[in-house]
Parts: sequence; structure tokens; C-alpha cells
Amino acid sequence: MLKIENLHASVDGKKILKGINLEIGSGEVHAIMGPNGSGKSTLSNIIAGRDGYEITQGSISYKGQDLLAMAPEERAWEGVFLAFQYPVEIPGVNNTYLLKAGVNAKRKHRGQEELDAMDFMQIVREKAKLVELDPSFLSRGVNEGFSGGEKKRNEIFQMAVLEPDLALLDETDSGLDIDALRIVAHGVNKLRSAERSIIMITHYQRLLDYIQPDVVHVLADGKILKTGDAKLALELEERGYDWVREEAAA
Amino acid sequence: MSDIVRKVREQGQAAFARLGLPTTRLETWKYTDVKRAMAPFLERLAEAPAKPETLDTATIKALSIADLDAYRLILVDGRMVAEASDLPEGVHAESLAKLLAEHPEQGIEPLGMEEDAPLFNGFVALNAAHAQDGVGICIDDKIKLDKPLYILHICSGQVAHVCHGIHVGTQAEATVIEHYAGLDEATGFTNVVTQVRLMQAGHLRHIRLQQESGKQTHIGRVSVHQRRDSQYSSHSIALGAALSRVDIVTSLAEAGAACNLNGLYLTTGRQHADHHTVIDHKAPHCTSREMYRGVMDGRSRAVFNGRVVVGEGAIKTDSAQTNANLLLSATAEVDTKPELEIYNDDVKCAHGATIGQLDPNQLFYLKSRGLSEDEARQLLTFAFADEVLVSIDVPAVRRHIERAAFSKLPLGADISEVLA
Repeated sequence: MLKIENLHASVDGKKILKGINLEIGSGEVHAIMGPNGSGKSTLSNIIAGRDGYEITQGSISYKGQDLLAMAPEERAWEGVFLAFQYPVEIPGVNNTYLLKAGVNAKRKHRGQEELDAMDFMQIVREKAKLVELDPSFLSRGVNEGFSGGEKKRNEIFQMAVLEPDLALLDETDSGLDIDALRIVAHGVNKLRSAERSIIMITHYQRLLDYIQPDVVHVLADGKILKTGDAKLALELEERGYDWVREEAAA
Repeated sequence: MSDIVRKVREQGQAAFARLGLPTTRLETWKYTDVKRAMAPFLERLAEAPAKPETLDTATIKALSIADLDAYRLILVDGRMVAEASDLPEGVHAESLAKLLAEHPEQGIEPLGMEEDAPLFNGFVALNAAHAQDGVGICIDDKIKLDKPLYILHICSGQVAHVCHGIHVGTQAEATVIEHYAGLDEATGFTNVVTQVRLMQAGHLRHIRLQQESGKQTHIGRVSVHQRRDSQYSSHSIALGAALSRVDIVTSLAEAGAACNLNGLYLTTGRQHADHHTVIDHKAPHCTSREMYRGVMDGRSRAVFNGRVVVGEGAIKTDSAQTNANLLLSATAEVDTKPELEIYNDDVKCAHGATIGQLDPNQLFYLKSRGLSEDEARQLLTFAFADEVLVSIDVPAVRRHIERAAFSKLPLGADISEVLA
């Protein structure tokens, strides 16, 4: 599904990623953990196509295509989805409209017929239940006046509607209380499938109690220092990140 | 003509003879040169207005706000052609011409001018000298008008000086919509003065929509006088005309009065739209809010000047003003100037003006959901403008303006789905 090779990236001349190698197969759930400033969000932003990053070396191939050559919207049409760490408020733009435009752009790209308003509303109502999103949110402005937890839920709701092949969840657990975390995790688990790969970027092990990853990576200082299974996350929770750094340096 | 009317006419003529049309030498007209726009009308400024063009119902309907449940008055070329029917008890909306003839002491009130008022200029003097008609509205004390009063003015290509008076009594409440439209290809000049008087705890929602056709010149002035605890809420929208200028001057004359001024200007091609506002805090504990937004495309130009004056006695004033502008082309231009004059220490005032482009974070968010660059830009531009319109609480009016704005800022989508 996704293959990142020797990825180096800088922002304003400052090196952030220093040779990332990562391969994610169909249906796999990977967690990328690491301390603040390690480059986790940079990585997810680069995969989703945000401006402002200079790729100095390396490549990302997605379903066999050169991902870095694609515009953000093309990536979305091809099934890439980023659940934002800080979802943006867009007053005045209707939540449902945004999703309908997104779904139909993707369908058009794939040569499928566009959904009409009725069919679409049915899908939307159903998916809203998945994350227990109040239907009144559907007709509000995108994230407008949503609480932190509601914004995160809305991201997972969008993921459910857009049905991506590769979902990046950037710190989806941050700012959630335990109940909201449970709801969001339940939504994500429901969306797991053999065709859908998920990358969870997180600081804490907490999220992984609810969403079991297949693989856990430790990202620090712009590199993947260690890769393991779900047990690695528990070890990190207990021992912090320094030992991984020391081990890598040794 | 009664003596008092004659006196006002003479005063208007004298003031105009002295002032003439404003020129760019005046600080408040620095960015708006009316010379070219006014050239076709110079010979006709003082002529008694001709008979209004006779318009068929289909034409009037096409220019009206659709599906609006309101008391309607229609003026063509500055003359009342259809009066409101079925007005409820305690609500009066009459032809100013009729008032001037039958009750000059009432009719004269909106026509009378204060030469020392802020932004007073030659157009106001012209209006006092020549306005023959308009609407005199009076909402009696404690009356809450059940639906809006809708005043449609259609310019067929003539010179029209129009004068409206709106009196909102103690604890009375009303919504008044002034809608300026024009026939296609009409080269006309509309010069409107609206005088608003709000008595104690009176509340007026005032929507002023300028949608004249592309060759017209539109000049408007709204003066508002607010008594204790009154509320004035305004939406001033400029979409049409080749050149438009609308001044709103509100005087918070007694304690507890509040005003909320909203404005939106969308200009394309070679349009020019100028908005000047003055909020005069004269008394303690008054509140003012102001939000004006503009979107400029093509070679168009917009001007915003918002002055807030907080007088010596106006302690505990709470005032906030913003003006935000989006330039869609490299050749579009905006001149914005918020001005704050404060003469006491016990106030809370904030103001700010921005001129900018779209927010890159919002753009990226939309694109990451599959919207193309163009779609995302159009959507954000529209949403930016729409923020001024969300507070219009007459849905038919809001939808009408959104549709009109939409046709100026094209988006390949169905508007009813897009909006939150």
C-alpha cells in the first residue's frame, strides 16, 4: 500500500526527517510513536500533501504510484485521508456539503456516477451514528464552534464517509476525555478492514489500548529508531523514549 | 408648498451651491472620484424628476426578493408607485410626497439636514433640495411589527433623489428592508437619504441592499439617532452599480444604546464601492459592533472607512470594529482605514483591518477532502462573504443576497447545499 524510502525533509532549511523507511501493507494498522518534535506530524503532513516541506531525498510510493508528484486532492481521490491533529474551522461551509463534494469528486475520478442528495444523506446519517455524532452537526459549518472532542469525532466521521484506503490519524487521541476516546476508537475499529491501512500517530500508549496496532514504530530525531509489535508500545509507556535512543546510538 | 418645506428646499439649494459635488480634495472622498460617474447627470441634477417609468408586474417581480412575506412599498425613479396595504394598527408607512403636502411638519423631519453632521456633503444637500418622495415610516410605541417592511426602489435610468424617514417608538420593534434595483442597461443616478430615529428601547433591524444595474451611480446616507437602550442593527450590502457610496452615521446619544453595523461589498470588473461609517458614542454604557467585509475582483476598487468616536462622557463604552478584505486579482484594490478617537479612559475598544488572501490551512483542509484548488478557493471566498449575511434573520432576504453574491462569485455547485 505505502512504501517510504529514505525520506529526508526540511522546513525552512531545518532538517526534520532524516531518512525514514517504512512499509505498510493492505489492512495493516501501524502506530508511529515518539516524543514531541520528532517529526511525526511532518510525516503525516507530507503524506497528505501539505505545502511548506522540502523533500530533499527519498520517495513515497502509494499503490505503486509516486505519491509526492500528486496534488493533495488527487491523493484524496486515490484514497488517502488525514485526520487532522488540529481540525480547521471553516465557518459558512456546510459540513455535509464538504463531504458530498469530497465523495463525488472521488467517484468522478474513479469513473463512478455521482451520488444524489438523498442517497448521500442516508449514508451520512448512518455513518454519524458510528461516532455518535449529533445529526445537528451535519448542517453546521465545518468544525464551527465544535469542542476539541467534537472536532476529533468529526474527523473520524469524515473518514467513515470518505472510506479511504490509507488513513492517517494524527494525534487523534489528544484532547479527548476517556468517553470520547472510547467512542472514537470504536469508530476506528469498525472501519478496520483487509483493504484499509491505518497509520496512527500518537504520543501516548492510551489510544493503543483501544485500537490494537499490528506494528509499532518509534520515531525520534527524524528517524525510525525501532519497530516492534504492540508490546513495544507498553514498554515505551513504562520506560519512556530515552532507552530507544540510547539503544539506537549504541 | 408650505413655508417650512420651502425653507428646507432653499437651505438645501444654498448648501449645494456652496459645496457642489464632493471632490477627491476632501479627505472623506479622497479615494472616490465621482466626476466621471456623475458626468451624465450634471445637467439634470436639479430638474424636477420626470414621471416615473411605467413598469409591468413581471419586471417588478423579477427584481424583487422572492418568497418574502412582507409589507411592500414600491418606488420607481424616486416616486412611490405602490403603497403598503393592510398595515397593522400602530404602523404607518406613507409616501413622503403625500406627507409633505398634507402634513408638512411630519414630512419635513427626514428631509431636514444638519450641515454640521459628520460626513455631510453636497449629495445630502441636493437631496434636501430636490427629494420629492420616499417613505415616511412610524412605528408607534410598544408596537412590534410582525413582518418586515420592504421598500423596493427601481431606477429606470433617471435621476432619483429619495428620502426616507423611519421613526421607531418607545419599546417598538421593526425590520425595514431598503432594496435598490435597476433596469438592465439603465444609466441612472440614485441619491438616497434615510433618517432613523430610535426612541427609548426601540429596536430596528435595517437591511440596505444595493443591487442596481451595472451603469448606475448610487449614493446613500443613513443617519441614525439613538435614545436610551435602543438597538440599531444594520446590514449594508453593495453588489451593484458602477459607482456606489454609502455613508452610515449613527449617534449613540443616550445611555445603554447599542448599534451593530454589518456590511458586505463585492466588486468585479471596474466597479467602485465606498463605505464610510461613523459611530458616535456620546453617552455612557453604549455598545457598538461593526463588521464589514469585502471581496474585490477584476480591476474593481473598494473603500472602507470606519470612524468610532468616543466622547468625554461616554464612559464604559464597549466598541469593536473589524474590516476584512479579500483581493481576488492583482489589479483589484482596496483602501481601508479604521479610525478610533477616544476622549476618556474608561472604555473597551478594539478595531482591526485586514487585506489578504485565503487561509492556507483552510485551503489545505478542503483539498485534503478531495476538493480541487479552484473549488476550495471559491468555496472559502463565498464563506468569507457569507459570514456577514448569517446574522440576517429574514431567511428570504439572506437567500436572495447569497444567490446574488453567488452569481458574482461563481461556484459550480447548488447554493442551497453549500451553506451552513
